[in-house]
Amino acid sequence: MTAYRAPLRDHRFVLHELLRVERYRNVPTFADTARETIDAVLEEGGRMAEEVLFPLNRGGDEEGCRFEDGIVTTPRGFGDAWRICREAGWIGLDGNPEYGGAGLPQVVATCVAEMMASANLSFETYAGLTAGATLAIDAHGDDAQRRTYLPRMLAGEWSGTMNLTEPHCGTDLGLLRTRAEPREDGTYRITGTKGFISAGEHDLTENIIHLVLARIAGAPAGTRGISLFIVPKFLIGPDGGPGERNAVACGSIERKMGIKASATCTMNYDGATGYLLGEENRGLRAMFTMMNRARLGVGVQGLALGEVAYQNAAAYARERRQGRAPSGGGPPDAPPDPIIVHPDVRRMLMTMRAFTEGGRALALWTAFALDVAHHDPDERVRRDAEDLVALVTPVVKAWLTDMGFEATNLGLQVHGGVGYIRETGVEQFARDARITQIYEGTNGVQALDLVGRKIPAHYGRALRQVFHPIDRFVAEAAGDEDLKDMAGLLGKSFGRLQSATAWIGERGARDPEQAAGAARDYLRLFALVVVGYLWARMARTAREALARGTDERAFYEAKLATADFFFARMLPDTSSLLSRIVSGKDAMMALAAERF
Amino acid sequence: MPGIAKAAVIGAGRMGSAIAAHIANAGAPVLLLDIVPEGTDNRNELAGAAVSAMLKATPAPFMHRSAAGLVAPGNLEDDIGLLDDADWICEAVVEDPGVKQDVYRAVDSVRKAGSIVTSNTSTIPLARLVEGMPGRFASDFAITHFFNPPRYMRLLEFVPGPDMRPEASDSIREFCDVRLGKEVVRAKDTPGFIGNRIGVYWSFVAMSEALALGLTVEEADAVVGPPMGIPKTGIFGLMDLTGIDLAPKVNATMLEMLPPDDAFRREFDVDGPLAALLAGMIAEGCVGRKGEGGFYRMSRDGDARELQARDLETGAYRPVSKPRLDSVAAARDGGPRALVEHPDKGGRYAWRVLSRVLAYAASLVPDVTEGIADIDRAMTAGYGWKSGPLEMIDRLGCGWFVERLKADGREVPPLLETAAGRPLYREAGREVRQLSSTGGYAALDTPPDAWRLADMKRGREPVAGNGSASLWDVGDGVACLEFHAGMNAFDDGVIAMTREAAAIHERGYRALIVGHDGDDFSVGANLGVALFAVNAAMWTPIERMLEEGQRAFLALKYAPFPVVGAPAGRALGGGCEILMHCDAVQAHAETYLGLVEAGVGLVPGWGGTKELLARAFARKDRPGGPMPPVVDTFETIGMAKVSRSAREARDLLYLGPNDGVTMNRRRVLADAKARALSLVEGYKPPAPHEIGLPGPSGRATLKFAVDGMVRRGDATAHDRVVAGALADVVTGGETDATRSLDEQRLLGLERAAFMALIRRPETWDRIEHTLDTGRPLRN
Repeated sequence: MTAYRAPLRDHRFVLHELLRVERYRNVPTFADTARETIDAVLEEGGRMAEEVLFPLNRGGDEEGCRFEDGIVTTPRGFGDAWRICREAGWIGLDGNPEYGGAGLPQVVATCVAEMMASANLSFETYAGLTAGATLAIDAHGDDAQRRTYLPRMLAGEWSGTMNLTEPHCGTDLGLLRTRAEPREDGTYRITGTKGFISAGEHDLTENIIHLVLARIAGAPAGTRGISLFIVPKFLIGPDGGPGERNAVACGSIERKMGIKASATCTMNYDGATGYLLGEENRGLRAMFTMMNRARLGVGVQGLALGEVAYQNAAAYARERRQGRAPSGGGPPDAPPDPIIVHPDVRRMLMTMRAFTEGGRALALWTAFALDVAHHDPDERVRRDAEDLVALVTPVVKAWLTDMGFEATNLGLQVHGGVGYIRETGVEQFARDARITQIYEGTNGVQALDLVGRKIPAHYGRALRQVFHPIDRFVAEAAGDEDLKDMAGLLGKSFGRLQSATAWIGERGARDPEQAAGAARDYLRLFALVVVGYLWARMARTAREALARGTDERAFYEAKLATADFFFARMLPDTSSLLSRIVSGKDAMMALAAERF
Repeated sequence: MPGIAKAAVIGAGRMGSAIAAHIANAGAPVLLLDIVPEGTDNRNELAGAAVSAMLKATPAPFMHRSAAGLVAPGNLEDDIGLLDDADWICEAVVEDPGVKQDVYRAVDSVRKAGSIVTSNTSTIPLARLVEGMPGRFASDFAITHFFNPPRYMRLLEFVPGPDMRPEASDSIREFCDVRLGKEVVRAKDTPGFIGNRIGVYWSFVAMSEALALGLTVEEADAVVGPPMGIPKTGIFGLMDLTGIDLAPKVNATMLEMLPPDDAFRREFDVDGPLAALLAGMIAEGCVGRKGEGGFYRMSRDGDARELQARDLETGAYRPVSKPRLDSVAAARDGGPRALVEHPDKGGRYAWRVLSRVLAYAASLVPDVTEGIADIDRAMTAGYGWKSGPLEMIDRLGCGWFVERLKADGREVPPLLETAAGRPLYREAGREVRQLSSTGGYAALDTPPDAWRLADMKRGREPVAGNGSASLWDVGDGVACLEFHAGMNAFDDGVIAMTREAAAIHERGYRALIVGHDGDDFSVGANLGVALFAVNAAMWTPIERMLEEGQRAFLALKYAPFPVVGAPAGRALGGGCEILMHCDAVQAHAETYLGLVEAGVGLVPGWGGTKELLARAFARKDRPGGPMPPVVDTFETIGMAKVSRSAREARDLLYLGPNDGVTMNRRRVLADAKARALSLVEGYKPPAPHEIGLPGPSGRATLKFAVDGMVRRGDATAHDRVVAGALADVVTGGETDATRSLDEQRLLGLERAAFMALIRRPETWDRIEHTLDTGRPLRN
C-alpha cells in the first residue's frame, strides 16, 4: 500500500524563505494574499489531496475509464471527488475573481496542483485542463464569451479541453485539417477529427467546453492560417445553462500505459457550432500565450510523481529489513538491517530528494515569475519576468519530467521485486509519469525550443535573467566562509554553461543542425546549473535559519545535507554534458539515414 | 603629358554646378560660368547661388566646405576671357545643339591651344556637336557624360570623337579616372551611350512585364531587385526616386535616336498600357518622391506614418505588403538561375525581364562598344548592379541561356552565337579576359595600375586566414590584411589575424596594407556577439577581447615594417581604431570614419581614445595648456562624430596630415601599396607617446559641462554616465598635468571605462535598439 503526505513544510520554505513572495506586496495578486491565507490554502489543499484524491488513485488505475455509445464513465469515486473539489473552490483557484475565481497567485495554485498530481495525476488532468481553458477564454474572449463561460467553468460546473492534435499531426500543427466554415450568424461550422484529447468526454461535469484549432475556409496554409474556436458540448441555452446538444462526439478512448483514469478521446466534429475565440488566423498565437503555463503544469506533474515516489521509497527503505550493512558489526543473531543502511539505496533516495526539492524550487521560481510578468505595475519588471519565464519554461517542462520519471523508476528500484508487483502501487507512478515526457511538446521539442528560439531571441536577452543572478551570486558567495566551496563548484559549472552557450551561439547560428544536436544535453546542463544556483540559495537560507536559532533543526540540516549531495553527486554531470555538446553533431549524424 | 591643373564648367544648372563641385573636390580650381540673368545686379547670380545652395545640400556635393573656395563663380559675358588658362572646359548647358555650339564658338575664341573641351550631354551625338566646328576644335573635343549626383555616382562615360588627339584623350581620361575618381567607360558615339541605352530599356521591360503579368509593385521590386543583384529599389522604387515625369521624355528622346531595328523601338508602344499608366500618374501629380507620391508613398496621419503602394490597376494606395514569392526565396540559395527557372509568377517575370535585357545588352557588341566589360562596368558603376548583364549571362550559364532563348523562339545576339557555349569571361592564370565579337578572348580595358584585391587573389591561396579575416600576398613583398566577416565587423577572428599580420615580416614581407574590396572597411565590433556575451555574463571573455584587441593594434603600430590602412566606406568604432594605429592611411575619398561607441553607450576600448588624444596633443596649431586637446577629444568621441568624407576626417583627427586620399575606389589598394613601399626604406616604428593629462580637475570641468547639457535637455541621463566614463579616460584618471602617462596607462583607463559601461542596463538597451533598428536610442 502506498501513502502520500503533502510536503507543506517544503512549500512554505520555498514560498516564504527562499522566494519571499510577501516582498511583492506591490504586485496586486500578492497584496490581497497574506502569508496566513497562503498557508491555510496549502493546508486545506494538502488535506484534500491526501484524503479525497489519493485514495482514488489505485482504483482509478485498475478500473480506468469506460466507453460505451459515445459516453465516457470515469472510475468509481471520481464524480464525488470532483463535486467535493468544486464545492471547496479548488477548480478556479487562480481564476479571475471578476468571474468567480479565487484570484490566488499562480505560485500558490502551482503548489496545490503539485499536491493534486502527486495524489492522483489522472484526476488532476481534468482540473488542469479546465484551468487552462478558462485562462484562454479570459485572455482572448470578448466580454460576452467571458460572462458566458468563465463563471461556470471556474466554479467547476463545466470543464474545459484543448483540441490541437489530429490523427496525422501533433508537433507540426501547420498540417492541421479541421475546417471552420463561417455561417451568416457569425458562428462557424466545425468539421474534423481530433485525437489524443484529454478529458474530451466524461461524466464529471454537466457541460464540456472544447477549445478547438481549425482552419477557416480560404485561410493561408501553414501555421498562419489557424484559428481558435469555442465549441461547447451542449450549446448554451437561454438561461445560460446547457441547452441543445452540439454536433461533437467522442468516437473512442485510448487504452494507455498510464493515467488510465484520464479519458483520452478521439473527438469527432461533424458540423458542430463553434465561436471564434480571439482573432482569425491568430489561433496558434493565442495558444502560445497559454503554453508557458501549460508546460509549467506538466513539469510540475513530473515533480509531483517524483515526490510521491520518494515518500514511498523512503518509507519502504526504512522498514524493509534485509541483509547487513556493508560496514558490518552487530551480533550475528541480530535482526537484519533496514536496506536504508546501504549507500546505493541512499544514493537513490538522495537523488530523488535532491531532485524533488530542487525541482520544486525551480518550478515555484518560474510560477512566481509568471505572477510578476502578469501583474507587476512596472513594465520593465514585467518584461524581465516574461523573459525569465520564456527561457526556463522548456527547462522546467523537460527536466522536471525527465527527472520525475527517473525518480519514479528509482523508487521502484528501491522496492526491489515488490515494486514490480502491481498491487504495491509504485509501478503506477512510473507508468503515469511516462506521459509527462511526451505530451505538451515532447522533451526533444522543449530542448529545440530552448536552443533554437529562447536562447537566440533578442541576442540572448532572456539569458540575462538567469546568468546575471548566478554570476552575482557566485561572486558574492565567494567571500562567504560557509558558502565559498559551494560557490566555487557552482562557478565552475556555470562556466561550463557559459562555454556551452557561447558554443551554441556561434556554431548554432552558422549551422542549425549543430544547435539541434546539442539541444538535449544543453537543456540538462542548463537545468543542473540553475537548480544548483537555487540549491546554493536554499543552503544559504537554511544556514541563516540555523544561525538564528530554530526549533526545526532537523528540517534545515536535512536541507544542507541534500544541498551537499546535489553539489557532490549531481552537479558534476555538467562536465560530461559540456564534453558531449562541444563534440558536435558529427558522431550523431555520420551514419546515413538509409543505413538504419 | 600635360596634366589638367585648372578647369572650367559652363552651365551652373544641377549637373554643371555639381560637376564643378566635384572638380573642386579633386583639389583643382574651377571656373563656373552661366549666363547673366535678368533683373538682378549680381551678374554672377546663377553660378554664385548654385555654390551657396550646394553648401547646404544633402547628400553634399562638396567633400569639404573648403572645396567651395576652389569654385570661382562667373558669367559668360564678363568672364569668358578667364577661360584662357583653363586646361579643361566642360560644357553642361541645356540639351540643345544650337545653344551648345554657340557656347563652343565663344569658348573656342579664347581657350588656349591644347586645352580640352567636353560636353556632358546624354542625348546629343558627338558628330552633331562638332558639325561645322573648326578641325582644331574637333581634335580637342569629347563627351564626358557624368551620372547624377557626380560626386557619388562612379560611372563616367567617355566618348572621344574620331578626330580627337590621343594625348588629349589620355589626358582627360586620366584626370577623370585618377583625380575625379570615376569609373571611366569608353563608349562609341551611339544613342544613350551604354548606361542609359540599357537602363532605359530595362526600365521599360521591367515595368511593362510587371503590368503584363499582373504583379504588384512590391512583387516586381522584390524580383527585379536583390535577387538579380540590383539595388533594392527595384524598378518602381527607382522610378519614384528619379521622377516618373522624366520617363516619357527620356523614352521619346531615345526612340528618336535609336536605329529602326532596335529592340526598344520595336517593342515600345506609345499607346500601350505602360505609357497610359505613366501619363495618368503624371497627370495626377504622382511623379515620385518629389511629387504626391508615386508607385509608393508615405502616408502621414498625425504622427502615424505608413508606407503605401499604388495598385497598378485601380490607382488606389494601400499599405505595402511584404511579397512572399517562392522564387525569391529560391534565389537566396540558388542564385539567378534558380530565380528564372522557378515556375511561380516571380520566376516567370524574372525570366521575361532578364532574358530580354541580357540579350539586348549582348546585342550592343560591337556597335556600341567593343568590350563586354565596358557594358558590365557601366551597369555596375552607373546603376549599382552587383553584376553587369554579361556577367549575369555567365552566372546563368551562357550555353543554357542561349538554349533557353532558342526554346522561346527568340533571336540570339551574334555575340552569344559566337560564344558557342563558352563563357563570356575566362580566367587565364591571374588574368581575366573577355570574349570579343570576333570570337577570341581579349584583355580588359582597365589601367594596369588600378587593381582590386580580387585581382590579386585570383589563382592564389591566402598566406593565412580564418572565417573573418585573411592575409594575401599583393606582390613586391607587400601583404594585405583583408576583413570578410558580415559587414566586415570585428570579432576574435579579425583580432587573431591582425596579430598574425603584425608578424608578417617573419614570413619575408616588408610592408602591410589593411583593406579589401568591400563597400565598408569595417563597421566595428560585432555588437550582436558582444550583446550575447553580455547577456551570458561573460565578463571575463569580454575583457579578454578588449585586451587582445589592444594588444593586436599595438603590435601593428610597433611592427618593424610599415603598415598602411586602405579604407573605403564606413570605418567605424574598431574599424576606425585600427586605422589610427597604422603608420599611414590611404583612404578612399568616400570614407566615413568615426569613433561611434558612445552611441551604443560605450567608449572606444581598442586604443581609439588614446590615439585621438595623442593626435590632439601633437597638433602644432593647438592652443596651450592640457585642456583644449582634452576637450576636443572628449567632444569628438562623446558626440560620436562621423566624418562625411575622408577630407572631413582630417578635421576630426581621425586622419592625420600625412594620410592620403585616393579619389578612385579602384586605386585605393594600389595607392596604399605604393605608399607602404615608399616607407620601407629606413623604416623605424613610431616612438611611443607620453602625454600629460589634467586629472580630476579637468574631469570636473568636463562633467560640469555635461551636467549643463543634461539640465538643458541636450543630453540624456545615460549620456551623462557615458560622458562621465569618457571624461575619466581623456583626463587621465588619478593624475595631474605634471605627470606623463604612457600608452599602457591610457589603455588601462579605456578598459576600465568600457567594462564599467558594458555592465549598465541602459547600455544593453542601446545596443539592442541599434541592432534592431540601425538607429541610436536616446535613453
